Amino acid sequence: MSARTRARRNDHAGRGASVLVAALASAFGVVLLEVTSVMTTVLNAWGVTDMGSVRITLTIVAALFIAIAVYVSAIVTTNTVATIIAGRTRTIALMRLIGSSARAQRRAVATDGLAVGAIGAVAGAVAGILLGFVGLQILVATDVLPDLAYSLIQPVLAVPVIVVVVSTWAAAWAGSRRVLSVSPMQAVGAAEERSVEEVTRRPRRARIAILMMGSGVLLLLAGVAVGQASPLGVLIGVVGGILSFSGLVLGSHLIMPPVLALVGRVLGSSAPARLAAANAQRHPERSARATIGLVIGVTLITMFAVAGSTMEVIMQRTMEDPEARAGISESVSVTLAVISVLVGFSALIAAVGMVNNLAQSVLQRSREIGLLRALGFTAVQVRWMILAESLQMAAAAVAFGLVLGVFYGWAAAEALFGWSVEGSGIVAPAVPWLLVVLCVVGTVLLAVVASLVPARRAVSVAPVTALAAV
Amino acid sequence: MENTPSDLGLAARVTHLGKTYGSSSTAVTALDDVSIGIRRGQFTAIMGPSGSGKSTLMHIMAGLDTATSGRAWLGDTEITGLADAALTVLRRRRIGFIFQAFNLVPTLDVRGNILLPFALDGRKPSTTESTWIDQLIESLGLTDRLTHRPHELSGGQQQRVAIARALATRPELVFADEPTGNLDSRTGREVLTLLKAASIGYGQSIAMVTHDPVAAAYADRILFLADGRVVEDREKSSAEEISGIMLGMEQRA
Ligand SMILES: Nc1ncnc2c1ncn2[C@@H]1O[C@H](COP(=O)(O)OP(=O)(O)OP(=O)(O)O)[C@@H](O)[C@H]1O
Ligand SMILES: [Mg+2]
Repeated sequence: MSARTRARRNDHAGRGASVLVAALASAFGVVLLEVTSVMTTVLNAWGVTDMGSVRITLTIVAALFIAIAVYVSAIVTTNTVATIIAGRTRTIALMRLIGSSARAQRRAVATDGLAVGAIGAVAGAVAGILLGFVGLQILVATDVLPDLAYSLIQPVLAVPVIVVVVSTWAAAWAGSRRVLSVSPMQAVGAAEERSVEEVTRRPRRARIAILMMGSGVLLLLAGVAVGQASPLGVLIGVVGGILSFSGLVLGSHLIMPPVLALVGRVLGSSAPARLAAANAQRHPERSARATIGLVIGVTLITMFAVAGSTMEVIMQRTMEDPEARAGISESVSVTLAVISVLVGFSALIAAVGMVNNLAQSVLQRSREIGLLRALGFTAVQVRWMILAESLQMAAAAVAFGLVLGVFYGWAAAEALFGWSVEGSGIVAPAVPWLLVVLCVVGTVLLAVVASLVPARRAVSVAPVTALAAV
Repeated sequence: MENTPSDLGLAARVTHLGKTYGSSSTAVTALDDVSIGIRRGQFTAIMGPSGSGKSTLMHIMAGLDTATSGRAWLGDTEITGLADAALTVLRRRRIGFIFQAFNLVPTLDVRGNILLPFALDGRKPSTTESTWIDQLIESLGLTDRLTHRPHELSGGQQQRVAIARALATRPELVFADEPTGNLDSRTGREVLTLLKAASIGYGQSIAMVTHDPVAAAYADRILFLADGRVVEDREKSSAEEISGIMLGMEQRA
């Protein structure tokens, strides 16, 4: 396989991942809106009055989760595009050398993004509609839902489709920014690929991110404090939460590399583990983007779970009646399950992004892996190196998300309900053990799945072939 | 009884080696019945026009590639038919490599790259080995570069790091494929002088592929390949003599 075909295959793989991500986001949006519409119909039939506000509430909740999914998928797509471009740097440089303008090169990438977004969004919408249709048939047939005149296909379904197309396009545009930083010299220049990101640190972005995080955390703590006395605390807390978390996402290129390094140290000091640790931090911005989606997903799931459980603990204190306690327990766990599934979908999209990121970065390093094989790296060591890298990314993202989620969830519960307890309402955060187990299992599963294909491909290429690649 | 390669004073040996790429209709014969021995303690150059099979020969001798026919030994170990895992360990412990370019792992600094063969083996250099490595680093002028990453070094410096890595384990044989191919002539001469010094200084066996007569003139012995066959086997020669032989080969072709 020549370097050229490999590069092309690489691009195809990246594009495939972007189509999949767009399709998942769009299908999610479509299904969620369908569910909203079905629920409205059912509630209406039950004779619920005040349908107007029910409909609005349901739609707002759906929109919130769709927004999260679209946001995460945009991050994933930006990263995929940037990674593809990193792998194509030499080709782009050559095109620049023979006279193509950087803008024309970038426009080509963005146009590609538009096509990818459109294909993915439409495919996802079709799948979502089919899924909704089949699901509804089953639910009606099994008498879970009454047989009513449901209208699944509505104009509003176009909204998630359009949002996904536009966001994919925008993400491709953002990801293609680095085309501009490719100089024609890179076509003739050094043998080593230097990370563009290393050269372009962005101090202004870092300052804004730190400012947002700092003030956000302060507001959040203020919210907790005020929450001990009045229900108004939650308003302050929400502002603080959104502010600090946005700052965190903005500054992820500063935060994730040390987190990755910390986790990397746990993997041991064997040569494969150390190389894996170095690889995960080679392009700080790239690995930050590859992991931040997962951090967001896990943080949200954990936040809701911990908020729910902590809230339960607080409310149990205020209530004596065991029946009321059981009732609260029940409704909290049902709500949590629903929310977890809804947020979990965003985490799934982020996982697709991570898998793709690892596959691409291993492909782009095939020559280096050839060198390692020549120097005496066994196939098993190569596999372990890739698995360790995958494990490091997954574990860093999940562990960090878990820690953040516990903090946010606890703060939310305290700001919301702290006042309802006499005396000090401050309790320790309650962390459901099931959540922790799921996170650990999910991490290992994701890491193994992500490393499977790249590892097999990496060891199947003969060292001589890999070394010959230009 | 057949003599073992080491009885013959050979660091490596191949007999009746053949290598064919592709299937019958489009087959390319890269090596055709090649039988040579690389003498222990010598600096051997392998020369020949482009496409004559030099790299292919080196790859097979180093256990990186497999032959279509014939046999190959490293020391007394026959490597024909060895499994991948055994070959890997053999490369790690008994062979050193210097390639034309892309020799170094970009994420490791200079020291990490030099110590990579030990790290792959999961061990630290012994005291004697450490003394030797320090000496190497000193003589290659890398002392104040140890914490630099490859992209911060010039091509010549990168090549010196590759030499340090190749010599660090004192392997039985060092293979170098066009080690000066990417360097200007002065830097190239420095690299060749360093290889020559290792050969004279402590009898390091070296096999170097090149098509530069000036580079080959540093060697104790020069093997000439053309169309996958060994066509000449010379003791130490001057660059002019080597150019003459090469010219003759090209005219015959
Ligand atoms: N993977 C391959 N597939 C098909 N043919 C190959 C392959 N590798 C080498 N060849 C062919 O084998 C022959 C010998 O190649 P080799 O790379 O050994 O030459 P070389 O002497 O090292 O040349 P150069 O000086 O240009 O590096 C050439 O004809 C080449 O085209
Ligand atoms: Mg060659």
